[in-house]
Amino acid sequence: MEFDLLQNLATGFGAAVSFKNLGFALLGCLLGTLIGVLPGIGPIPTIAMLLPITFGLEPLSSLIMLAGIYYGAQYGGSTTSILVNIPGEAGSIVTCLDGHAMAKQGRAGAALAVAALGSFLAGCVGTVFIAAFGPPLAAIAQEFNSPDYFSLMVLGLVTAVILAHGSVLKAVGMVLVGLLLGLVGTDVNSGLTRYTFGVSELWDGIDFLPLVIGLFGIVEIIRNLEQPTLPRPQFSAKMRDLWPGAKDFSESWRAVLRGTALGSILGILPGGGAVLAAFASYTLEKKIAKDPSRFGKGAIEGVAGPESANNAAAQTSFIPLLTLGLPSNAIMALMMGAMIIQGIQPGSAVMTKRPDLFWGMVASMWIGNLMLLVINLPLIGIWVRLLSVPYRLLYPAILLFCVIGIYGTNTNIAQLVLCAVFAVFGYILLRFGCEPAPLVLGFILGPLMEENLRRSLVISRGDPMVFLERPISAVLLAATVAIVVLIVLPQFRRTREEAFQE
Amino acid sequence: MLRVRSPQDLGAGLVFTLIGLAGFYFGTDLTFGTAARMGPGFFPVLLSGLIIAIGLVLALKGVAVEGPPIEPVQLRPISFIVAAILIFGFLIESIGLALTAVLLTIFAAYARPEVKLRETILLGVGLAMFTVLVFVYLLGQALPAWWGR
Repeated sequence: MEFDLLQNLATGFGAAVSFKNLGFALLGCLLGTLIGVLPGIGPIPTIAMLLPITFGLEPLSSLIMLAGIYYGAQYGGSTTSILVNIPGEAGSIVTCLDGHAMAKQGRAGAALAVAALGSFLAGCVGTVFIAAFGPPLAAIAQEFNSPDYFSLMVLGLVTAVILAHGSVLKAVGMVLVGLLLGLVGTDVNSGLTRYTFGVSELWDGIDFLPLVIGLFGIVEIIRNLEQPTLPRPQFSAKMRDLWPGAKDFSESWRAVLRGTALGSILGILPGGGAVLAAFASYTLEKKIAKDPSRFGKGAIEGVAGPESANNAAAQTSFIPLLTLGLPSNAIMALMMGAMIIQGIQPGSAVMTKRPDLFWGMVASMWIGNLMLLVINLPLIGIWVRLLSVPYRLLYPAILLFCVIGIYGTNTNIAQLVLCAVFAVFGYILLRFGCEPAPLVLGFILGPLMEENLRRSLVISRGDPMVFLERPISAVLLAATVAIVVLIVLPQFRRTREEAFQE
Repeated sequence: MLRVRSPQDLGAGLVFTLIGLAGFYFGTDLTFGTAARMGPGFFPVLLSGLIIAIGLVLALKGVAVEGPPIEPVQLRPISFIVAAILIFGFLIESIGLALTAVLLTIFAAYARPEVKLRETILLGVGLAMFTVLVFVYLLGQALPAWWGR
């Protein structure tokens, strides 16, 4: 077993470590950080905007670059949270609390370094986690039949909805709309086109790229422009010294380890991921701290724990995607979309049929983390200077890159019209309090869910009891019901609301 | 007279209901089939039904339960940004990336008040040079750099 693990990792590093691939990993990290560090742009819009760059590459290189972009974007997000108190996404809010407080005290360097070092350690553990748990999980996945997959997707979507912030009802609605949008195009089974309204560009379905760039990238720009004052960094903090002192280390290493452990576990859960892990870790650190009142005023554990946790979870949330083909959050849905565009259907088959790809990607995650550490940490000065570029000069550039990205992939005006439509759609829904992330999850799972439902019902000759008769499926559905019951219970509901308030 | 207590919920409910109704209406053109032999209309109609249900519950919630108001919509940012995207789309084939990049920048700039025209044009020219160099010449993407190719 252990031998296998080493050998597998060796295969992975063999595939991933080439001059070219390391270059792509580096480029991905740099670009990811570059966009991610811009105030108000979280990891999801960052990845959405940078997706098109990876399309021209061969599959492994493209996945490696994408992983680099992902880590870069996350790291960039932490940097903005710490330095200018503008969280790019829900997960970074936690980092803002103590990270920015530290920056105000002139300890920005220590906060950034601890975030990077903690993330790196968490990334290493996460990588080993994937290597260790991937194959057994993939073996279990081999036992999965259509009904089991269907139930698994139901479970995944339900948990994702509950862990999303905001109204559960609206999130359910968004998932369903996403599922429906995912069905647009030619039905593989009958060959008939659905919801295409005679538009030939829709025959292959709605393209992923205009959808995500419209919903996330463009809406983000519009939202920022609506603020009376454009996001503009005001840092009084000086970068006195980058390296944390011995005291910082001794205060934070335990938090890093706890965060890593917590994040690794929470990342595997369907619906879990970086955001949940960061929140959970912050709560944990505050609970067990000797003096909880320090939190919010620059407690280094409040940076070290969540930052490690979110990176560990970012890593391990690849596990359900790579073994079961189930994206557990919107970022994984983006990854899955990118893989599908590369002609790879994520799932246990990737590991058996294309071990170089699977293990190469696992190895590249570790490489990506290392790149972040050795390259980004010294570059913090540059990222900081980038933060001071006024937003009025940045957003036209961002918009232009988005548009070129969409148009450049298949030179079709329809894609840009689609992007504009989704931007307006996303904007309206956001005004009504509906977050777009669940929609993307539904969108990517729509065709899969339909296919598995169809196959299940063919096997059972139309009897829906098949979902309860198969043990795996029954267990998954029971888990789903248990979770639904939990949220209906008022007590849990209050905890959830409190958790999101913090 | 019904009083709207949570405009956000009511709005979301109405949007969902409309989407569901549209999905249902256009889905009924497709064969529904039976559970054992699902037609192309089976899953879409099922989903549309669920969406309508969620929409109606949300709409009811909107008139029954107190909720936050809708932030006022500002027409300027959204209309100029969307216009910039569409102008890029409809002009790129005929006048090329260099000019459309400048146009997009100008349109985007007017999404906010107090435009500095000189600065914007300079930015547009800079972005045009950069993107033509990088995307057309360096990355070799299938984009026309100038008019007539």
